[in-house]
Amino acid sequence: MPAFFEVAQLAVRLGETAVLHNVSLAFREGEVTALLGHNGSGKSTLLKILARQIAPTQGVTLLNGHPFKATGSRAFARTVGYLPQHPPATDGLTVRELVALGRYPWRGPLGRYTAEDQGLIDRAIQDTGLTRFADRAVDTLSGGERQRAWIAMLLAQQTRCLLLDEPISALDVKHQVETLRLVHGLAAERELTVIAVLHDVDLAARFCDRLVALKAGQVVADGAPAVIMDSGVLESIYGVAMGVMERAPGQWVSYVH
Amino acid sequence: MFADSARAPANGPILPTRLPVTITLLWLIALAASTIPWLDQLAPGELVAAFWSYNQEYYPSVLAHYSWAPRVSIAILIGCGLGLAGAVTQQILGNPLASPSTLGVEAGGQFGVTMATLFVPGLLAFSPDLAAVAGGLLAIGLVIALTWRLGFSPVTVILAGLVITFFLGAMNMAFLLLKGEWLGNLFIWGAGSLVQNNWEPFLQLLPRVLILAIAMLMLMRPLALLQLGQASASALGAKVALVRGGALLLVVLMSSVVVSRVGVVAFVGLAAPVLAKLLGARSLGERLFWSTITGGGLLLLADTLAHWATTLGNGSIVPTGTTTALIGGPVILMALQGIRNTHHMPGADSSPAGFLPTRKPTLLIAGILTALLVLTIAVSMAWSPGLSSWHWTPVSNWGDAWVWRGPRLLAAILAGMALGMAGTLIQRMTGNPMGSPELLGISGGAALVMVVLVLTGVDIGRGGQLIAATAGAAAALGLLILLARRHRFAGNQLLLGGLALYVFMDAGLRLVMASGGTVASRLLNWMYGSTWLVSEQEAIGLMALVLTLGALLLLVLRPLTLLPLGDAAASSLGLPVARARLLLLLLASVLTAAATVVIGPLSFVGLIAPHLARVLGQQTVGRQLLVAALAGGLLLAIADYLARVVVFPNQLPSGLLAALVGGVYFLWGLSRHGRH
Repeated sequence: MPAFFEVAQLAVRLGETAVLHNVSLAFREGEVTALLGHNGSGKSTLLKILARQIAPTQGVTLLNGHPFKATGSRAFARTVGYLPQHPPATDGLTVRELVALGRYPWRGPLGRYTAEDQGLIDRAIQDTGLTRFADRAVDTLSGGERQRAWIAMLLAQQTRCLLLDEPISALDVKHQVETLRLVHGLAAERELTVIAVLHDVDLAARFCDRLVALKAGQVVADGAPAVIMDSGVLESIYGVAMGVMERAPGQWVSYVH
Repeated sequence: MFADSARAPANGPILPTRLPVTITLLWLIALAASTIPWLDQLAPGELVAAFWSYNQEYYPSVLAHYSWAPRVSIAILIGCGLGLAGAVTQQILGNPLASPSTLGVEAGGQFGVTMATLFVPGLLAFSPDLAAVAGGLLAIGLVIALTWRLGFSPVTVILAGLVITFFLGAMNMAFLLLKGEWLGNLFIWGAGSLVQNNWEPFLQLLPRVLILAIAMLMLMRPLALLQLGQASASALGAKVALVRGGALLLVVLMSSVVVSRVGVVAFVGLAAPVLAKLLGARSLGERLFWSTITGGGLLLLADTLAHWATTLGNGSIVPTGTTTALIGGPVILMALQGIRNTHHMPGADSSPAGFLPTRKPTLLIAGILTALLVLTIAVSMAWSPGLSSWHWTPVSNWGDAWVWRGPRLLAAILAGMALGMAGTLIQRMTGNPMGSPELLGISGGAALVMVVLVLTGVDIGRGGQLIAATAGAAAALGLLILLARRHRFAGNQLLLGGLALYVFMDAGLRLVMASGGTVASRLLNWMYGSTWLVSEQEAIGLMALVLTLGALLLLVLRPLTLLPLGDAAASSLGLPVARARLLLLLLASVLTAAATVVIGPLSFVGLIAPHLARVLGQQTVGRQLLVAALAGGLLLAIADYLARVVVFPNQLPSGLLAALVGGVYFLWGLSRHGRH
């Protein structure tokens, strides 16, 4: 069975600077992956390529073994959902209306919304714990709730994959953990493939099956948390002397010397 | 279509009652105002019947059937069409101020029809739509080309639309001045008139508007996705570019079809959606529906007002375009109050990218510009066409030539310098490479006073005009300050206030244009900057003023560098932000007023000179100011010379020439230097 996503010899250049260079990776279905790396390492760019938001300068991009180009835009949107780093203000949309927009890839510009669609919208709102806020305007919600509303839209999209660009950067610790726990739980329950750009190594190791680290546009580390959460590996990723403690199985704490 | 998906639950947000109440009231007032003059001649029942039949024996009945009823119908039809088109445009661009008027589509349509009238009159007889649609597409294409690289931030798009409107307006005017005899009847048409004498235009418009409206509604759901931003919309499978392009095409078709029939009915497409939104229409479906209804009511009201004004004004025609603009201005001001927080303007985060060409030594650039300026002065003084042939005036005779060529040249150069500096100030303060005194409405304020002077027929001489125009500019500035103080003089709000002022100026202009005659041509000459009116004392007075202000500017260089870093950063560095802004605004407005009385409100110099300075590698404030001043002076010196010699022995207004040349440069330069 081909990998869900596969990219090979990927390169992206913006003008003179190479943002990504010779990146080859495969992502299995049902795997929760974190993309790590310091600012400007190319992780957001890689995610945008997977989301088909930008096209690579060169290289191969496959979805389920088929080249990206072979898939139509709505068909692609039925398989892959993408949450940009800074979702825009939604100008008065209620949570329910926002989530309903997630059904667009399935119904298109003119298709009728059936009871099934309404059910999926309700379930997405329920799963993200937003039932209370369903009729509130998204813009009036707090940062964490707003993030969940957007994730609910992705769930209503019924994709097999979620691409999240720094989904927790703007949140406090409580909401960070809640959001990641939500994504983790949903991924397990619905067998979703998740690829998220994260900055917090400890949280990434706690909630993800696999950590992929980029540095200067190249993959420098790739493996299970147990492999990556090692002072030597982390030092090579971030370029600062770091140490790691394992407090309990699957729970690491990294610190800077 | 979308309503079934929203399936509003009982506790969902409900439509505020003030929306239907206000709109119903608007319609009732409009209908009452429209019918009252007829009621003493026809019974209400007969008046309603006038829409489909008439009594041959009774003249008022015939008149109602062939004049009043089609005029009411066409006003409602066009108003609804433009209201819908405006709401769709706002959704496409995620921009609360987008509309066919502010994007230049209507000016484009007008330009197309003017061109066709001049060069292929046969085309108009065949189909007036073609020329208007071509012009509209040209305008929107230019706006998109301009803003493509700068990101579609709301204010940038509107400014580009205004630039295009000015530019196409200048082109129109150039043809008007050169071939006026052909275009006399375009005056009234251009100002937007809904006067009807049969049902044919309405019956022609009806199917077109209906088909376009249905096509727009079909695009509703993809349009709803655009609210989520480009990334999310395309991640949901919408072909964003295609949806935007398709919907914009429909908008252009709708506006052009209207423009080709009745001329520019400005700002209905802007006012209707803004009003609907302010009154509480929230979801896309609600906004489209209520904008349509509001548009119809608004235009009917505006048209009735125009009709009344024409009747009261002893037959001097008040075009509907004037009254719609008069209604449009306040609505923009209301919108300004409504948009409290720029963070709620979607797309505001995509700020325009700065131009960063490589830095170049200031001395070298300034030296080259000065040399060019001296050369232009020499050529302008000496090399000119005579009655028989071109000839050089020897230096010994320059004393005599000075009387004719000197003051106007000096005034043009100084006006250019003033505009260059004012433009740099404003671009720095607003952090927008498209800000300029012309677009901020300060020039517009001065122009408005001139329009009023001309309309009232008061003759206060050249000196009086100077003072009055300065007062107008100061008043515009004062209004801007009042409006913007709540926002601590934030750039975007200032520009929007300027837009509103421009709308008022536009209303006055349309009125004068429709009245035609010598008044119109005199005013138009001034509007487009005729330097030949300047006397020697005025030129010398201007020099003293500009030099003083230039020296003052040296004192505020550092605050000017700090302001673009944002209020928070600037005030935490100890700059009293609001006071600094006020001072800079004052400087900019006095500079602008000084230049406007000489060169008119419509030259692009204040926009181009600072941009040129950047392209020439001057990135820091002081250097940009210096080079922009030189570039502005050079630009207008050349324009003044050309205006004098191109159609010798006649003269063109040099502001018009500057606007044409500058507009072309701007279109070319911005698309070129935005690229990386």
